[in-house]
Amino acid sequence: MKAVFKYKTLYFMMLPILAYFLIFSFYPLARGLAISFQDYRLIGDRPFIGFDNYLRVLKDPVFWEVFQNTIVIGAGGFIINFFLPLILALSLNEVASAWFKKMTQMIVYLPHLFSWVVVGGMWILLLSPDTGIVNQIIQLFGGQSVGFLSSDRYARTVMILTSGWKEMGYTCIMYLAAIVNINPSLYEAASMDGASRWQKVRYVTVPMLRSTMKVVIMLNVLGILRLFDQIFVMSNGAIAKKVDVIMMYTYQKGILEFSVGPATAAGFLVILATFTLTYVTRAVIRYDEG
Amino acid sequence: MKSMNKISLPGRLFDTINVLFLLLLVLTMVIPFINTLALAFSSNFASMQPGIVLWPKEFSLEGFSTVWNRMKLYLPFTNNVIVTVVGTLGHVFLSSMAGYVLIQKGLPGKKWMLTAILLTMMIPSEAIMIPLYIVNQDLGLLNTLSSLILSGFVSGFSVILMRNFFLSVPYEMSESARIDGAGDPRIFFTMYLPLASAGLATVTLFEFVSRWNQFTPAVLYINDSSKYTLQIALKSLIVDTDSTSSNFMITTNVRMAGIVIALLPLIIIYPYVQKYFVKGMFVGANKE
Repeated sequence: MKAVFKYKTLYFMMLPILAYFLIFSFYPLARGLAISFQDYRLIGDRPFIGFDNYLRVLKDPVFWEVFQNTIVIGAGGFIINFFLPLILALSLNEVASAWFKKMTQMIVYLPHLFSWVVVGGMWILLLSPDTGIVNQIIQLFGGQSVGFLSSDRYARTVMILTSGWKEMGYTCIMYLAAIVNINPSLYEAASMDGASRWQKVRYVTVPMLRSTMKVVIMLNVLGILRLFDQIFVMSNGAIAKKVDVIMMYTYQKGILEFSVGPATAAGFLVILATFTLTYVTRAVIRYDEG
Repeated sequence: MKSMNKISLPGRLFDTINVLFLLLLVLTMVIPFINTLALAFSSNFASMQPGIVLWPKEFSLEGFSTVWNRMKLYLPFTNNVIVTVVGTLGHVFLSSMAGYVLIQKGLPGKKWMLTAILLTMMIPSEAIMIPLYIVNQDLGLLNTLSSLILSGFVSGFSVILMRNFFLSVPYEMSESARIDGAGDPRIFFTMYLPLASAGLATVTLFEFVSRWNQFTPAVLYINDSSKYTLQIALKSLIVDTDSTSSNFMITTNVRMAGIVIALLPLIIIYPYVQKYFVKGMFVGANKE
C-alpha cells in the first residue's frame, strides 16, 4: 500500500487512459458478448436466449453470401497486396537513378494517405460508363464502354484492383526499408561467387525479406475481415450481392434494421474468426521457417 | 563496385524494360489524380462531356464555388478541422502520458497495465461497432462531435510507439532529476516530451492523417447533417444518388472539387509524412 502511495502521481496520470480503454474497449467487448446472447429489445427486459442469435446468423443465407464475398474479395486483395508491392520494391531496387527511385516511391505511396471516400469516389467517377476516363480510353482503342460498378461481372475485380492501387505503395515502403538494411557484404560475397543480378535478387534479397513478408502477410490477413470502408463507399444496389462483406452485414443488421442481437453475434463471429486466422497464419508462417 | 560491372547488352535491356514498367505504373497512379484535378477546374458543362481530360476544359472555378458556397461544404470542413485538431492533440497527449508511465521502473501493476493495453490492440474495432454504438448512445454522445473526438482518443499502438521512444531516453537522467526534487509531471513535460520530439511528430502525423480520414465512427454516430464531417459529406455528394434529386444537378466538376478539397490538407503535410511513417512503422513494430 505504501508503494502504491509513493507512485500516486503516476497512477493519477494513468487514470484517464485506463478509463478510456475501460469504457471504449473492454466494456463494449463485455457488453457485446452479453448482447449476443440476449433478445435485445429497445424497451422492456432483455432475456438471455442462449445461442439463438448465433444460430439466426448462421442460418441466414445472406450471411453466407457476404461471407463468400468477404473470402473472395479478401483473398484477391491479399494476393495482390502481397505480390504487387514485392515486385515493385524489387524492381525499384534495381533502378540506378536516385531521383527516379525517390519520385516513383513518393507517387506510389500517395493514395495510401487518402480515405476510401476520396479514393473510392474518385474511382467511381473515373470508371463511370459515360464520361469516365477509363471507358474513354477503352473506346479510343475501339472497345465497348463497360459498366464496371454496375455489373456484377466486374464489381469484385474492381474492389480488388482498387485496393491494390491504394495500398501498393505503403507495403512497398516496408519492403524497401528492409532492403536498405540488408548487409552489403552479402552482395559482395555473391559477386565474388560470380552471381548475376538476377541471382542476387533470387538468393540474397528475397530470402532476406522473409521477416518483412511475414509482417505483410499478418497485416493483410487481419485486414480481410475488417473490410468495410471501401465496400461501404463503392457498393451499390446493382452489385451489393457480389461485394457486400461481413462488416456491411453487421452494419445493416444492427444500425439500419435494429436487430442488435444478431448483428452483435455476427461481430463476435468475426472476432472468433480473427483469432482463429491469427493462430493459423502464425502456425503456417512458422512452419515455413522450419 | 560499379566500375567492375561490365555494361552488357542484356543488362541494359533489363534496365530499360524495368524503367518502362515503373513509368507505366507511375502513370496509372498519376493519371487518376490529374484527371480529377482537371475535371474539378473545368466548367460545369465541359466536365459532363466525354473525353480524356488531363487539362481543364473551359477553365473555371464553378465547381469549387458550388460545392463550397451553395452546398455549404465549409460546414463539414470546419467540423473536420475541429475533430482532427482536438482529437489529434488529445490523442498525442494521452498516448505519450501513458507511454511515460509505462517506462517507470518498479511501478506496481505496470505489467498488468501494459498487457491490458496490448490486448485492446487485438480487438478489431469494426467487430464491436454495435456495442460501441450502444455505449455512445448511453453516454448521450450520438450526433455530437465529441463522439468522434473520443473515438480512438488513445490507442494501444500510439502508447507502445511513445513508450519505445521514451525507452531510448537515458533513465538515469530522470533519476537525477528526481533526486533534485522534480516530480513526475515536471520530468514528463520538461525532459521526456522534448527529447522524444521525433516520436511526437510521428504520432501526430499518423493521427492527423487517420483523423482527417475518419469514416466509420462518423457513419455510425452522426445523423444530423449539421454535424457531418468532410468524409460523410463527400460520400453523400459523390456516391448517394438521391442527393441529385435536389433542385440542381450535381455536375462532375462539383464532385471532383469536393474530392480536391478533402485531398488538400494531406497533400500539404505529405512531404513530412512519408519519412515519419517509415520510422513509426519500425519503432511501433518492436513490442519488446
